Amino acid sequence: MTIMQQLSSPTMYLICGGIIAFVAVVCVVFAVRAWRAGKAIGMDTRVLKRVVTSSASFSVLPAVAILLGVIALSGSLGIPWPWLRLSVIGALHYETQVAQSAAEQMGISLSGSSMTAEAFSTIALLMSVCIMWGMVLNLFLNKKYTARLARPLDKVGERSFGDQAMTAMFIGLVSVYLGSYLGQWISGAGRFSFAGSLLTLLTALCAALAMMGLTWIGEKRRIGWLEPFSLALAMLIGMAGAVLFHTMGVK
Amino acid sequence: MERNEIIARYERGTHLIGRAVTLVTLALLVGAPFMIGAYLGAMPDIGAAARSFLAVGLVWLVSSVVEFLVYTPMLGSGGSYLAFITGNLINMKIPCAINARDLAGVKAGTKENEIVSTLSIAVSSLVTIVVLAAGVLLLQPLQPILQSPSLQPAFDQVVPALFGAMAYKYYRRNLRLAVWPLAMMSLVFILLPALQSQTSILILPGGALAILLAWLRYRKEKTA
Repeated sequence: MTIMQQLSSPTMYLICGGIIAFVAVVCVVFAVRAWRAGKAIGMDTRVLKRVVTSSASFSVLPAVAILLGVIALSGSLGIPWPWLRLSVIGALHYETQVAQSAAEQMGISLSGSSMTAEAFSTIALLMSVCIMWGMVLNLFLNKKYTARLARPLDKVGERSFGDQAMTAMFIGLVSVYLGSYLGQWISGAGRFSFAGSLLTLLTALCAALAMMGLTWIGEKRRIGWLEPFSLALAMLIGMAGAVLFHTMGVK
Repeated sequence: MERNEIIARYERGTHLIGRAVTLVTLALLVGAPFMIGAYLGAMPDIGAAARSFLAVGLVWLVSSVVEFLVYTPMLGSGGSYLAFITGNLINMKIPCAINARDLAGVKAGTKENEIVSTLSIAVSSLVTIVVLAAGVLLLQPLQPILQSPSLQPAFDQVVPALFGAMAYKYYRRNLRLAVWPLAMMSLVFILLPALQSQTSILILPGGALAILLAWLRYRKEKTA
């Protein structure tokens, strides 16, 4: 049996699938507890159902993109390990970079043809160790940190700064990404050359316009069911726009 | 049972279960490479792993600290335990939880927000697990479609599509707040193109600037 056959063997599926199954059970436990607690403190069941619907519909497209990450890594690491990494704890942008670095330290390239058993187990260890720190911090500091952040509820009708701060944080986050897309176009191929990648910026603009249209339709026509799906739909339209721009020769 | 009692009991349970499952997941994730090593007949090279960690891992260590400090207040305790176990924070869990929070109309820092975030991240993670499991099962027949060159630009552009849609959602109600962070970040990336490959480094300063501006506006509104 070759190393690549071993990496996609039933034993590997059993090891990785077992861990994924454990995390799936954890998700179910947290979901059930949150649902019950929400109902117990008087939250509207319809609101909870909308949260479930919107989160599920929102997650499908990014999940398909993550699946592409599994496919991309499967050529060098087999299918089960990338499946585990990207189902649990991992992040699309992180895995390849870390795997590549570990492969370099082992003196090989990240490809199925040069993979060895020792290189694989070392790469797998590094991929786990590099990204586990968020969990470690949660283990030791989550309780203290969240207790410190807790504060009495605001008066009815008054908008708290905590609420505004979270919105502001997210505006900052979105601005960083949009700024980077603009920077890629203007200075990506040399400062102020306007010859860098324009595709990311156009895709973002296309998705923003789609979101604007969907929000307008939802509000004007009072289509309540549209709101939970609007983000996923806007993303889909943005992605379709990317295909269109690409065929028009935009890079 | 009174609301406060229900919340206190829920919080105690969340920390207990959260810590236990985090510990077990950590043991499984770090143990898996050794288990696989035993199956393959070759254990990990600890020296090479340590050298790689110094080369690339320290960046992720710092990134994890920042993510913990920034995202935990957004997600609450339950959402945070779950998000760090299931991963894909920036491209999926955080936007998903924030979107759910807005749809539910709950405030950050409240128990309702904590419940909505936890529910949202749990559902999002389950959907990811199901899509990936189905995808792995169908990997062979699906591969030609998913890897078709004509669809590649769409899947390469998932994150820009996400942030474009989110930008409209957040900017439309907070345009004055968004102008400066967007202008500053654009300027940074235009003047320092090398930073374009390290976008995550600027999340903290970008967020801090937006929070500072929000604070100034909040103070002005309170004193007016």
